Amino acid sequence: MTRYLRLIRIFTGATLSAQLEYRANFIGAVLASLGEVGVALLGIAVLFGQPGTTAVGGWSFHEALLVVGLFTLTEGFISVFIQPNLSKIAEAVRTGSMDFTLLKPIDAQFGISTRHLNVLRVTDLLMGMGLTVYAASHLTVTPLGVLGAALLYVSALVIVYCIWLVLSTTAFWFVKTQNVTELFNGVFGAARFPVTAFPVPVRAFLTFVVPIAFITTVPAQALTGELTPALALASPLVAAVFFVGARLFWLKAVGSYTSASS
Amino acid sequence: MTATVKKLRTLFATQFAEMTEFRAEIVIWMLSGTLSLVMMLVWMAQAGNAPGGQINGYSSAEFATYFLSTWLVSQLMVVWVAWELDMDIRQGTLSPKLLRPLDPLWMWYAGHLAERVVRFPALIAFVCLFAWLAGAQFTADPWAYLAAFGLAFLGFSARFLWEYVIGLLAFWTESSTSFQEVVWLVYAALGGMFAPLAFYPEWVQRVAVWTPFPYMLGLPAQLLAGKATLSDAGRGALVLLGWLVVFGLLRLIVWRRGLRKYGAVGA
Repeated sequence: MTRYLRLIRIFTGATLSAQLEYRANFIGAVLASLGEVGVALLGIAVLFGQPGTTAVGGWSFHEALLVVGLFTLTEGFISVFIQPNLSKIAEAVRTGSMDFTLLKPIDAQFGISTRHLNVLRVTDLLMGMGLTVYAASHLTVTPLGVLGAALLYVSALVIVYCIWLVLSTTAFWFVKTQNVTELFNGVFGAARFPVTAFPVPVRAFLTFVVPIAFITTVPAQALTGELTPALALASPLVAAVFFVGARLFWLKAVGSYTSASS
Repeated sequence: MTATVKKLRTLFATQFAEMTEFRAEIVIWMLSGTLSLVMMLVWMAQAGNAPGGQINGYSSAEFATYFLSTWLVSQLMVVWVAWELDMDIRQGTLSPKLLRPLDPLWMWYAGHLAERVVRFPALIAFVCLFAWLAGAQFTADPWAYLAAFGLAFLGFSARFLWEYVIGLLAFWTESSTSFQEVVWLVYAALGGMFAPLAFYPEWVQRVAVWTPFPYMLGLPAQLLAGKATLSDAGRGALVLLGWLVVFGLLRLIVWRRGLRKYGAVGA
């Protein structure tokens, strides 16, 4: 365990020093973050801008803003931690450099998931946190609600990581899969809004088929104190099932890996 | 003249062959642009819950029509030339393209047009499916379709040119493609991807009419929905043509300056 923690520290140091060399890229990253937050904010701003609209799917403006904040935070998490690592799987399988990862005396999934970091997109994380705190300050939140939301949000991050891992792991068979995660991004865009803002059949799809509801809506509900116990229990359960499933899928993929030349 | 036509035909044929190879990717890319679909679902639910079943005179079905039309038009306006330029300039692969007796702009332009041909059948199939699911109804006037696709073509050309200018910024800066995100946001907002333009605050509408965005996205969508007239389309086409000239000139200036700065990789 301590060995893995030390490895994370070394990996982080290495990517940090590699990235901070390109200081001009920082401006680009800030622009990109602003663009992403802008899309999410404009979406709800126009909805609430209509005369007579006080709620979207039963959520007030600040409650909906909370969802936007968590959405931005999750996007930041993806672009800082997940995407820089998992998007390299396809390339590694294609060129055969996956061999090096598999030969190292550490768990390959750990190695492939923690090696890189996109520090520049930390702006997304900051903006997401800022929005969430700002929205929460206009609502009545209890310490218990904050604790519950934090726990459920950890489950959310596990779910996101597992979906990404499974999608990227298909590269072991299909080689060209960078686009598949793009498909997830498309569906994930729906997480900008509370899931109750959608028509009922779509709501079911976003809860049971692609569990987008657990990523932003459920933690936000925990903060506002509107969470049903069933959903509170379902979220960690889904995360656990996803984690085991993704792990098995990864092991199966590695088992069928035959390097680049064969 | 015949030489140019021949060049263009060859360009289009090779680019078409390349694009058909990417047909699976094209469908995936198509499905990943979901913003207007997400907005459609949210507005439909909003209208369904509103007293009287409508918001600002739009019923649930009318929202479906408007946003599906926006989706269709925005799919015809997908441009990725900034990424290509960014890559080519940074890695120096622009150099061999400069040796050809033709501005590389035409190669990419032909590539984008060829991709539209590959994309179109799948696009129509998806629009029909979604329209059936959401209950959207499009206009029956053939002239409206002609006008809408004409505007979409002009809009695509305008977007191609401004994205080209952004891509050329790679001559000077590392982060040219992130300017794209912000420009895209303005295009999506003022184009009407979040809501029909009439739903925006009045001062935004007054600014928007001077930009090309409402005429390339919202207006063709309204034409398909049967909510805009042909004279609106004519006025929109004139504005777009004006902007095309502006973007074209801008592209030319930046291209000339950039080439002087460019020394392939390593210089």
